[in-house]
Amino acid sequence: MRMNNEYVIWFNHEKCTQCHGCEVACRSWRGLEGQGLLFRSVINVWRGNYPDAKNHSVSVSCLHCVEPACAAVCPVEAIIKRENDGVVEVDESLCIGCKACLDACPYGVPCFGSDDVMKKCDLCLDQAVGESGPPCVATCPGDALTFRKLNPKEKEAHMSYIFGLLE
Amino acid sequence: MNYQEAQEIAQKNGEQVVPTVCGMCGPGGPGGGCGIYAFVKAGRFIKVAGMDESPVNRGSLCAKAHAAPQWVYSPDRLTHPLRRIGKKGEGKFEKITWDQAIEQIAETLIRQKKTYGAESLAILSPARRSYSEYIQRFLVAHGSPNYGHSGICAMQRAFTFCYTLGDYPRPDYQESELIIYWGRQPIYSGPVARPAKSFLAAKQRGVKIVAIKPSVEPDVGMADIWVPLRPGTDAALALAMLHVVIREDLLDHKFIDEWCSGFKRLKAHIQQYPPEWAETITGVSTEQIETVARLYATTQRATIDLGNGVEHAPSANDAIRAVSILMAITGHLDRPGGNLFVTPPKNGIKSITLKERITQEMVDKLVGPEFPKQFQPFYEGTSSAYYRILESVLTKKPYAVRGIIAPGTQAIVSTRGSRNVAAALEKLDFFVVADVARTADMPYADIVMPLATSYEVDHSFQMVPGWLMATNPVISPIHSPKSIFDLFFDLSVAMGFGADFWDGSISKAMDDQLKPLGVTMDRLRQKNTGMTFSPGPRTYEKYQSVFNRVSPRLNGAPFLPHGKVAIFNTAFAEAGFNGLPQWCEPPESITGTPELSTNYPLILSDYHTSKNFSAAWQRNLPYLREIQPHPMLHIHPDTAAVRNIEDGDWVKVKSPHGWIKIKAEIYPGIRPDTVMLLHGWWQGCKELGMADTPLLDGGANVNLMYSVDGDKAYDPLITAMTSQTLVQVTKIQNGAEK
Repeated sequence: MRMNNEYVIWFNHEKCTQCHGCEVACRSWRGLEGQGLLFRSVINVWRGNYPDAKNHSVSVSCLHCVEPACAAVCPVEAIIKRENDGVVEVDESLCIGCKACLDACPYGVPCFGSDDVMKKCDLCLDQAVGESGPPCVATCPGDALTFRKLNPKEKEAHMSYIFGLLE
Repeated sequence: MNYQEAQEIAQKNGEQVVPTVCGMCGPGGPGGGCGIYAFVKAGRFIKVAGMDESPVNRGSLCAKAHAAPQWVYSPDRLTHPLRRIGKKGEGKFEKITWDQAIEQIAETLIRQKKTYGAESLAILSPARRSYSEYIQRFLVAHGSPNYGHSGICAMQRAFTFCYTLGDYPRPDYQESELIIYWGRQPIYSGPVARPAKSFLAAKQRGVKIVAIKPSVEPDVGMADIWVPLRPGTDAALALAMLHVVIREDLLDHKFIDEWCSGFKRLKAHIQQYPPEWAETITGVSTEQIETVARLYATTQRATIDLGNGVEHAPSANDAIRAVSILMAITGHLDRPGGNLFVTPPKNGIKSITLKERITQEMVDKLVGPEFPKQFQPFYEGTSSAYYRILESVLTKKPYAVRGIIAPGTQAIVSTRGSRNVAAALEKLDFFVVADVARTADMPYADIVMPLATSYEVDHSFQMVPGWLMATNPVISPIHSPKSIFDLFFDLSVAMGFGADFWDGSISKAMDDQLKPLGVTMDRLRQKNTGMTFSPGPRTYEKYQSVFNRVSPRLNGAPFLPHGKVAIFNTAFAEAGFNGLPQWCEPPESITGTPELSTNYPLILSDYHTSKNFSAAWQRNLPYLREIQPHPMLHIHPDTAAVRNIEDGDWVKVKSPHGWIKIKAEIYPGIRPDTVMLLHGWWQGCKELGMADTPLLDGGANVNLMYSVDGDKAYDPLITAMTSQTLVQVTKIQNGAEK
């Protein structure tokens, strides 16, 4: 089923300086203190060879896919795509920590705390974050991250863009 | 976010919000001057947000800023003043009170002054912050000229620029069509500050960007042209660029005739430095040198942002003045889109360094002048080079410093010659360490003073161009209530010169500093998000006034004796230095010492800044350490392959001066003949179960690796200690190294 509203934290690599501000803002605001517990990671990607070697940055988080591969493989249906806003939501009480979602996610997003329960970005929709938006968006010096409402086609185009940046 | 939004968020979450200044770019004091909203829940500092109202960061913040609560609550915080009870270097201490510690330091320094003279005290300078002028004031009040500036940061450029051009030529990011970032990292250290935002804005505007440095960092990835030169060869590149623009007559003759002195001598002199010559030294192709030189000279609105990278080589002064001359003779000085002379605001805060009390006698007593005595004092007052202060303890030349205070600085990992530094600290009569958290040098301290962070005190304020903001206390002090400011105020009172320190009152001192601006600290604090000032109107071509600017030397002589750009520098020549820029090899290099290449075939240098740490601090913060858990050697894939090295392997990096053990990062964007790593590694991270690493051989302290040979490792005029050497890299089998 395709939703009409697809929220996303949009990323533009041409405006990202790889400062990791978004990554740590998210951890600090969401209290993600455990080792490896990140809802958002900034990744360096290489292209080409010396002396034409170039790098670019990708700030990766859950894209709340139009047809989420994580939900499709979850054996206990702990991951659902919400109808009203397209958010891909995890029911932590159902998760059995099998990590099938991690294998399925094209962006390597799901992370697991010491309790082995899958955790990921929920777009801060239930958080008191104010008009500036989620902390990752608010803190970005280049406006490389912006909070947007898309239609499914636009969302899929953005997913392809991110996938292409990571390849 | 703005103040109202921050208050609304705090209210929803049952938190309090405190507007203040970020304190993460430096120990215990505001750094880059970003405005923050600090959130407190049940008395605990939990998170920050960027302040929209601050013209510095306009609502954004970097990774370091967001890790502040982990710094404040770190298990590595110093909790009590300590007095050494074991041997130096052993790290055995007993707890004492702050007052006992102040008393012991005061008594010792007074005794040393009586026996050896006031110059026997030196203070190693931390990064320049709002506390710096108080440290300088303390030294002058005590009578010592030995303010220990690093000799490798900012002042080197400032000195050579001023003695060549009369001022520091600021890049005009806004109006330029071509920006050359030369030895410059516009993003790291201040990713949300003006230079980084100007870089992004220029990029969006479609400005052509050239990056000159040995490896690809995120800014190079976004540049149009990368000039991958060998570390420490900037002077050779700049001389060859001068050769090209002079040979091809890409010059502003009117400006040269009216405003330059010594061009004819340069024209003859530069013949010996064609790009073919520079290619062998810099590793940059003749074609690329010519391309970049022509591009710069023929783009009317072109600017050069010369960075810290040029301040670490024995040819540093010549690199900086060659670039200065390039700006001048191609007509890029103080014109729109070029390099500007920015007039300082009429009303600044009051200078409190007591520089009016500096005498020739004090200049003569400098233990290891950062700049030759003929050129002292410079803008920051008198200064000795940080390393030379420590070296004097070993050599007693010209005399041994007897007491050193290291407030917020870590000598063993922050300056070169770590082996000598450790030996000096072991031998030193009296050593005081003051910091927020554990430092590398602490085991050698006689007294350790624990400092409060700027989140725990009500001082001082941040004054950056366009913004004045009070530091407000976010939480009550967790450990020591005393700040780096308190340390020097309390010491001054105990040593009998409290009258020079507002009788020990920091609030009186701040009011005094603010007087020219017509505000008091109380009034400033009432302005929740500080006071903003609009910049004055831009003016161009201020050659008459700038070229006749008076230097800070005691005789008040102008920087430029002829009132013109000093292409031939008569001031330097009369003092016995080269009148024209020349090339000088680093102490160890492929072209300078080919005999070393068999055993040490690769060039090693290090990064001065990183995206997630401030210098040698903050490796202990899990949020930041997880971004970069291990010291990594950037090594080209081919260079690694012939050594059977794979990504993540532990490797041994050996120079003629020592060896380190770090991990290899296969790095496509680095010269194949060069390897690089970040400096400042020693500290573990308790929360992540990571231990400290050795300070000398077998650790990851790159400063161990370089020459400190007095005849080869320094620039003769501006210190600029070398950070290039030759190394071999080998894989460590099974992760172990005997």
